Amino acid sequence: MEEKKSHIENEKIELGSEKDFSFRKYAWRQFKKNKLAYYSFRILIFLIILSVISPVIATDEPLYCKYKGVNMFPAFSLFNKCEIKNVDGSSEIIQYDITDWKRLDATTIIFAPVAYAANKTDYDNADYVSPGGGQVFKDKEGKLLKMPIKFRHWLGTGKAGEDVLSGLINGTRISLSIGILSMLIASFLGIFLGAMAGYFGDHKLQTTRGSFWTMAIGLLMAYYYGFSVRYYNIIDGFATSGIAVLFQLLISILIFLSVLYLFYMLGKRVGEISFLSTPVFIPVDSIVSRIIEILISMPLLILIISISAIAKERSIINLMVIIGLTSWTGIARLTRAEFLRISNLEYIQAAKSMGFKEYRIIFRHALPNALAPALVAIAFGVASAILIESSLSFLGIGVPPETITWGALLSAGREQYSAWWLVVFPGLAIFLTVTIYNLLGEGLRDALDPRLKK
Amino acid sequence: MLQYIVKRILIFIPTLIVITLLGFIISINAPGDPVERMVSSSQNNGEQGAQSISQKEQKKFWCSKLGLDLPVFYFSLTSLACPDTLYKIYDKNEREALGRLISKYGNWQEIQKYYSSLIRFNEFQLVFVADSNLLKQYDKSAVLETMNQIRFESSALKASYESSVIEAKNIKISNLISSYPFLSSLKPAFELVKQNYYSIEKNSSTWKNYVPRIAFYGFQNQYHRWLFGDGGKFSKGLLFHGDFGTSYVTHQPIADVIYSKIGWSLFFSMLSVLLAYLVSIPIGVKAAANRGGRFDKISSLVLFLLYSMPSFWLATLLIMTFANTDVLHWLPASGVKPALGYPDGASFFEMMKISFPYIILPAICYTYSSFAFLSRTMRVSMIEIVNQDYIRTAKAKGLTENKVIWKHGFRNALLPIITVFANVFPAAIGGSVIIESIFTIPGMGSETIYAIQNNNYPMIIAVLTITGFLTLIGYLISDILYAIVDPRISFK
Repeated sequence: MEEKKSHIENEKIELGSEKDFSFRKYAWRQFKKNKLAYYSFRILIFLIILSVISPVIATDEPLYCKYKGVNMFPAFSLFNKCEIKNVDGSSEIIQYDITDWKRLDATTIIFAPVAYAANKTDYDNADYVSPGGGQVFKDKEGKLLKMPIKFRHWLGTGKAGEDVLSGLINGTRISLSIGILSMLIASFLGIFLGAMAGYFGDHKLQTTRGSFWTMAIGLLMAYYYGFSVRYYNIIDGFATSGIAVLFQLLISILIFLSVLYLFYMLGKRVGEISFLSTPVFIPVDSIVSRIIEILISMPLLILIISISAIAKERSIINLMVIIGLTSWTGIARLTRAEFLRISNLEYIQAAKSMGFKEYRIIFRHALPNALAPALVAIAFGVASAILIESSLSFLGIGVPPETITWGALLSAGREQYSAWWLVVFPGLAIFLTVTIYNLLGEGLRDALDPRLKK
Repeated sequence: MLQYIVKRILIFIPTLIVITLLGFIISINAPGDPVERMVSSSQNNGEQGAQSISQKEQKKFWCSKLGLDLPVFYFSLTSLACPDTLYKIYDKNEREALGRLISKYGNWQEIQKYYSSLIRFNEFQLVFVADSNLLKQYDKSAVLETMNQIRFESSALKASYESSVIEAKNIKISNLISSYPFLSSLKPAFELVKQNYYSIEKNSSTWKNYVPRIAFYGFQNQYHRWLFGDGGKFSKGLLFHGDFGTSYVTHQPIADVIYSKIGWSLFFSMLSVLLAYLVSIPIGVKAAANRGGRFDKISSLVLFLLYSMPSFWLATLLIMTFANTDVLHWLPASGVKPALGYPDGASFFEMMKISFPYIILPAICYTYSSFAFLSRTMRVSMIEIVNQDYIRTAKAKGLTENKVIWKHGFRNALLPIITVFANVFPAAIGGSVIIESIFTIPGMGSETIYAIQNNNYPMIIAVLTITGFLTLIGYLISDILYAIVDPRISFK
């Protein structure tokens, strides 16, 4: 009885979903039908979770440690040290990052699943110890023992005794964050510019002559006050840290936008003067198309290499911004094409006739229907961003040398070809992640394009 | 048709100009002082004083040779506080220090006074010779040390801009000067420097920094010289003579370096494009003809995996397996020819025969990704064609399967694969950076990496500009091919 009821309910839900048939639900169901894409989606979620918790599962600091009666949680702690009062009144300071936890006289100690940090070395197992090879462990007295199972280097070690598995797990975070964040920048740029170009074309964005020229001057002024005047502040930001750059750039962009807004308001007034009120069209489409043409005629890898060559500080944020600023063209082209189609549809005409503001039509009514192709391009874009990052790390140009990435690990394997685990595993990680994103992109394309419906 | 090509070329010109501009912007923002590098790499070991004078001359020479004594562009957006002539100061650090002083105080008159008094002080102490009678009383090496310190501090003062640093240096120099009585003749000159510095701080006019101004420089600027040259004195110009300037590393003209390196890159990219088309077209057509069959399924999977495979991983794996003394040592791991070179008088075919084992692995890496991409494109476009009515008609007429596919379908399915040609060509050049550096092929790719490692910016810019140019040509060729293959396309 119970079973039957639930069965009926299930049917009801399915019928219900047929009734309020939404494209999103349809697309999700189509997507789920594609087993490969669906499983890559689940693996991707697993990878994202892995990259978020990687500082806790692959670290040499124990998760929990009871030492001389004091409870410590070094892997979770924001502070780097703990002071322990001995019985005789003297105190002992345990500094988390340099303590030799594996040989500590602790009452209870729980290690992370991978008990090594990516950037620290295990000198006893230095010089390329293979995953199945004879790994050794030096105990407190300095005797060499067989490696206990909880401290094994499951994927072997590198030249100085770096744990490969820990490097892989920590590299996940860098690869994924570069892929996702750079594509975030690229999507904002691509979708915005593509939407503008497709919606307005060359003959739809109308303004007055006075307003046009005021805005032209305003752009120059905004650039001047936002970036020229603050030139040295931004340069100093680059010399200090990634966060300082972001902060300085943010201030500059704010100044830029507010000056632009001032001139926009001014332009409205100027446009009311009779001889300046002649209507002119802004060729948005031509401008955006030209920019795209220029960017795609530059080989992306060489462009990124040359820009990162002049960046004073090698940092992950720089790399993200560079990749983001150069790889939005595909997204913009697809969004533009989609907007070209949509802007002639009847419901947009209806929205216009109801007197909605342009930005509302673009972002509320047209954009949701134009996102599908861009989404596919974004998935493929993440794959290629990860490839670019790992190629750059492989060549030793992109990220700072002390950062451990998949590409850097793989590159270390080139020094010693007999250490196959240094070549195979990081390469496999890159390959898998790229494949996952590519499969995801294909799945999305099949799910979102109703024309492919059989 | 001709009209269309001319029109396309006309559209390319602004794009090309922007590409050169982009390359130029990157090159002038490059860190480090090129003049300093040129001088230090061709330095002679002379006496301290003589050297610094000849160094100055050398600096001037390289400065005008590299065109750094000119303004950057036709015009610039500066402030009321900035003078038009700041570019004439050829030392990059000093220029930056002055720029920062201007952006802080905004009164160029005072800053100029300060700077020229500082230069005068520097020159004065270079020619300053103490009376030898007075010198006798002191330890000679200690005196020399003090003099050197003054020299060092005062030239460092030229490149400092933070008020705390300047003040610290002022105090230090004052102390050094007053440590020996015979140095007192230096004192008035230095007092003037100090006084001028204080008057900068006193008479600051910061507001001038917030008043924008556009300065015009005319054709005498770096960009113009870079493009058109200066009549053959130092540079012939990029546009008509392909002069990319001088390599910072070898002091050779960049064009010569490129000429000597581009051979192997072109060879490999041509070979890979040829191989990729030769292999991918039959595979794509066969897969599409039996859609859903076993061949289609297996080839789709393999192609997809190949497509996602990072080229540097495949290259490393191949070397690890086939060029490794521990596993299989069938092929050499790097280079394009034996270490001893070719035998004398070898013909081209003999050379190719010797190089053949060296070429196999790089050729695989060059080819596979574009091959995977092309096969997939070919398959998709063929599937679209196979479903068309006229194919059904052809089948209904009783034509053989082969004839239908290859005679009626193939030509039409070629269209998308031709547009792809424009993407394959530059990809072969851009992708070569990684593969060439792994296999140490003496081509453009490894040269690019070498240039980046050595901050050889003219080379980087040259590569960027050339590849941009080649891509544009690739687009043009693919457009023309498109028109030839498909007569339906009209270029009106």
